[in-house]
Amino acid sequence: MPGWYFDKKELRNTPSAAAGLDYKTEMRYRKEGARFIIDTGMKMDLGYNTTATGVVYFHRFYMFHSFQQFPRYVTACCCLFLAGKVEETPKKCKDIIKIARNLLTDQKFVTFGADPKEEVMTLERILLQTIKFDLQVEHPYQFLLKYAKCLKGDKTKLQKMVQMAWTFVNDSLCTTLCLQWEPEIIAVALMYLAGKLSKFEVMDWVGRASKHLRWWDMFVEDITMDLLEDICHQVLDLYSQPAPKSPSDSPPPSATKPHSPPIQSTSRQSNGSEKIAHISPESLPPPLNTRIPPPSEVPQFPYQTFTHAPPPLTSYAPVSFAAPPVNTPPPMAGPPPPVAPPHLAGPPPNVYPPYVGHPPPFTPVVPPPTGPPPYFSNGMPPPTPGHRQYYPPP
Amino acid sequence: MAQSVSNVQERTHSSTYEALSKIGRGAYGTVYKAKNKETGQEVALKKICIPLDEDGIPMNAVREIALLKQLNTYKHPNIVKLLDICHGQQVGKELVMYLVFEHVEHDLAMYIEKNPNGFKTTEIRNLCREIVNGVDFLHSNRIVHRDLKPQNLLVTRDGHIKLADFGLAKTYDYEMKLTSVVVTLWYRAPEVLLGLSYATPVDIWSIGCIIVELYTRTPLFAGKSEKEQFGEILRVLGKPPKDEWPEKNAPIKWSAFNVTERLDLKTIAPNMCDTVLDLVMKMLTFDPNKRITALDALSHKYFMEEPIDT
Repeated sequence: MPGWYFDKKELRNTPSAAAGLDYKTEMRYRKEGARFIIDTGMKMDLGYNTTATGVVYFHRFYMFHSFQQFPRYVTACCCLFLAGKVEETPKKCKDIIKIARNLLTDQKFVTFGADPKEEVMTLERILLQTIKFDLQVEHPYQFLLKYAKCLKGDKTKLQKMVQMAWTFVNDSLCTTLCLQWEPEIIAVALMYLAGKLSKFEVMDWVGRASKHLRWWDMFVEDITMDLLEDICHQVLDLYSQPAPKSPSDSPPPSATKPHSPPIQSTSRQSNGSEKIAHISPESLPPPLNTRIPPPSEVPQFPYQTFTHAPPPLTSYAPVSFAAPPVNTPPPMAGPPPPVAPPHLAGPPPNVYPPYVGHPPPFTPVVPPPTGPPPYFSNGMPPPTPGHRQYYPPP
Repeated sequence: MAQSVSNVQERTHSSTYEALSKIGRGAYGTVYKAKNKETGQEVALKKICIPLDEDGIPMNAVREIALLKQLNTYKHPNIVKLLDICHGQQVGKELVMYLVFEHVEHDLAMYIEKNPNGFKTTEIRNLCREIVNGVDFLHSNRIVHRDLKPQNLLVTRDGHIKLADFGLAKTYDYEMKLTSVVVTLWYRAPEVLLGLSYATPVDIWSIGCIIVELYTRTPLFAGKSEKEQFGEILRVLGKPPKDEWPEKNAPIKWSAFNVTERLDLKTIAPNMCDTVLDLVMKMLTFDPNKRITALDALSHKYFMEEPIDT
């Protein structure tokens, strides 16, 4: 979806900045808003998808409006409210407000005004208009699972790596990464990070071709190491930010000061605010979304957006290396099957409590499908059997 | 806050478009031809009224609009382009919204009318393929059009089909009950006429009717009431096979029909070739579960044949 990705310069020239808010504070507001959505979502048993969708709306909203004009917790409630409808997990506005009342201090709840419900409902229309009705949002989770299925190696280590990457994805919602990069790229970067930290090196994968240097070359073209490191650092920076003064003000304090991440390379400091100040936007790679060309052999009419396209290797003809169809993970209303918490040597990804749960289980290595997928032969989209005949509920 | 909210609402108000004339196409909602005041581009403005409930915009409406917006990103050649969505005012318990679509000059009904000598069979086949292609796209995105008819199959200047007026079935359900719009019955599948549950096969039935109409330039089943419409279908297609009759759910018993023979469609449409007849009969199969799907129809031999110009 075009128009929802911004470069670092644009992220600094937001309406809030124009209205006089400094960058550091804006980032804190974004983090607090995101965290509040996550906490509220968790209290209401909303799944990770709904929560993440709400957070993405929140970040997008403040690319067009300022925090000075629209109080962040009202917006946050509204984003979760709308995400609930879009993801078919609707919650009553008054119930969301009830949770908000509990989570927020009196001082913060004042921003909801005399009629909190009306305030949130009025905002719904502004929110819809602001995010231009682009309500269907994809998140790194699904890609994380998809990619993980193709990786070969020790099952336990892989599981641990995926778990850790999942937690990083959760935490990435508190950054502006979703405004910078496609979910596919964030998934790759955070799996890379988790792989490093959990010492799981991917040596082989299903569908490997000689031209693939790294496993992710199979899914996304032209990811540079600089880009991966940049994304990883943006997430790691969350763990090294100073603890807030009052616990209810902001995310839970990071009790343990994390060790510096064992990522080799880059002279970058892991302290976010400083680091960002040192990087000029020009020195950064341009947004990758402009650099993922659709596969040239793809027919004129793409059924999928190209970032969502099948591996950018060949045409729709027999793709022997194609990822096996992802079995839809079970709905994650409640906590997923227990997975052993990751014990880390590196920075603990669980500095924050794991709020959106664990990843659903996945089968690590699935053999590639035998024979060409019949549905690509005529350039049609894959027939998803359950989708073709859709009987609306009575 | 209160003041800022109203400011934003002012700004987002659909003042960029100037309505030129009522097109009135489509059974629900009013459609206007309009002009973008900034770019001069002609558009079709579709006014929709969304009933608000105690939790604002109902989930179904939000989801349907989200899907329309999402579909648009695929830029399917046989689907009308959604350019913009504008908020209007809240009127009582309703929110007025405008969907801004690309404006396409003709619909298939006008197109048929404007070509009194009929079309070349190759042209008919191209139109048919594009209709099926568009419908297959909707179906693969879990959308049932529910009201396919020549009036909402738009035809571009260079003769290509674009489907319009779909995707808001649930949003409109409420409004439909209130307004007494006359909805054409001619393209309606038997399961809808019988009040049974229905799904994507209803659209295939409609396409079957439309294909014959392209050859004959007259609607195939032109009933004036639901009962008459059903009678028309039986008159042409004959009594449905017993094993295709939904004895359990249908309001009419199978044995209640007078035994009637199936007419040869060739007598109705002599210019139809055997392959298109075969396809049409697969589309006009009484049992929705046995009816051909859009995907299968696309690989039917009718669309695979050498072009024969007659």
